[in-house]
Amino acid sequence: MNATSQANRGSRPRMAVGVTGVLLLAACASTPPAPTANLQAAQQAIAAAERGEAARYAPGELSAAHTKLALADSAVTEKRMVVAEHFADQSRAEAELASAKTSAAKANAVNDEMKRSNGTLVDEMKRGSGDKP
Amino acid sequence: MNTTNHSNVIVRRTLIATAVASILLAAACATAPVKPDGAAEARVKLTQLQSDPNLASRAAVAIKDADAAVRTAEQPELNKELAAHRVYLADRKVDTAKALAETRLAEDQRAGLTAQRDSARLDARTHEADTAKIQAESARTEGAEQKLAADQARIQASAAQLAAASSEQQAKELQRQLDVLQAKPTDRGLVLTLGDVLFTTGRADLKPGASGNLDKLVAFLNKYPDRSVAIQGYTDSVGTEDYNQRLSERRADSVKSYLTGQGIGSTRLSALGKGRSDPVADNDSATGRQQNRRVEVIISNPPAALR
Repeated sequence: MNATSQANRGSRPRMAVGVTGVLLLAACASTPPAPTANLQAAQQAIAAAERGEAARYAPGELSAAHTKLALADSAVTEKRMVVAEHFADQSRAEAELASAKTSAAKANAVNDEMKRSNGTLVDEMKRGSGDKP
Repeated sequence: MNTTNHSNVIVRRTLIATAVASILLAAACATAPVKPDGAAEARVKLTQLQSDPNLASRAAVAIKDADAAVRTAEQPELNKELAAHRVYLADRKVDTAKALAETRLAEDQRAGLTAQRDSARLDARTHEADTAKIQAESARTEGAEQKLAADQARIQASAAQLAAASSEQQAKELQRQLDVLQAKPTDRGLVLTLGDVLFTTGRADLKPGASGNLDKLVAFLNKYPDRSVAIQGYTDSVGTEDYNQRLSERRADSVKSYLTGQGIGSTRLSALGKGRSDPVADNDSATGRQQNRRVEVIISNPPAALR
């Protein structure tokens, strides 16, 4: 009897917490949406980044995007849909950052090359005029 | 007692749990004063981006997105996982906006670089053209100089030719003059023989008609002032040697006097009597003797030999 009451004493607060959790979820969030759209968006963002050579210009971000997508997939299989949605969104954000960094790096590389070639042109001209007897 | 106590405990505990749950519930929905960790850092980065004059206007949409994400992240959230998630998204969106703005900036600068490159190329081409022009001008100048030099050389050559022609002409003229004088080139010089027709027999003074021949000599000597003359008188073998010697001297002197009287400097003239020496013909015949009676005017060759 004593043992039973001990057990009862332990399970009741746990029940209360569980109820609280349900209330909590019900209070703030509506039913978690299926993260399918978020997962697809993440996949598309990663594909776009890879097309843009992000592997070369932003390998860290691209790799993080892949990792987050894998975590999202795992969460889906674990039925942790909210977490899955978060990972999917993070994956997409990483992939978009990878794309943006890649464009910036490419644009700057083009400019640097132009600056270099302009400098060479000007230098050559100066040298050319300097050498003239 | 035990049961009552037990149920009391249960009721009390349930009440506590419910209260806690209510508090949690309230806390979950109500605003709490603390911002999630990391939200401030995201805000700082965003503010830097927004206050960068080169970047702020260049990715307006992405920056607005990032701003919204940061504001969401800044909302107090008791759900740590959600709060961290929002901060994560905000951070990445700020970085993304910054990278996009940098891309646009680079693209905008490219127009300037292209203009710079075009200008540099134009300069280079202009410079090349200028250089080519200068070289062409220099070549032209050189050409002109060469032409000038050639012209000068040609002029000099013509001058030399002219001089040569002139000296040739002078030589011809001299020859003509000598021909007029009927002077003969000999080893001693040009010898002009004045026959005895100039003089009355036995006398030293010149016949009035003789001056014509001597005047030609005067003209010649005036024309060639660097020449001097030796006047030598000769006789035939008729008469004594003394007589002939004196006669030849007087006749030579007579010619010299005439020449000085015509303005020829006496320093250029020497007179010498040679008597009956050096006959040019046989004294046995009248014709021979007449040839021997003569005055020879020997015109010295100029310093630079004429012949």
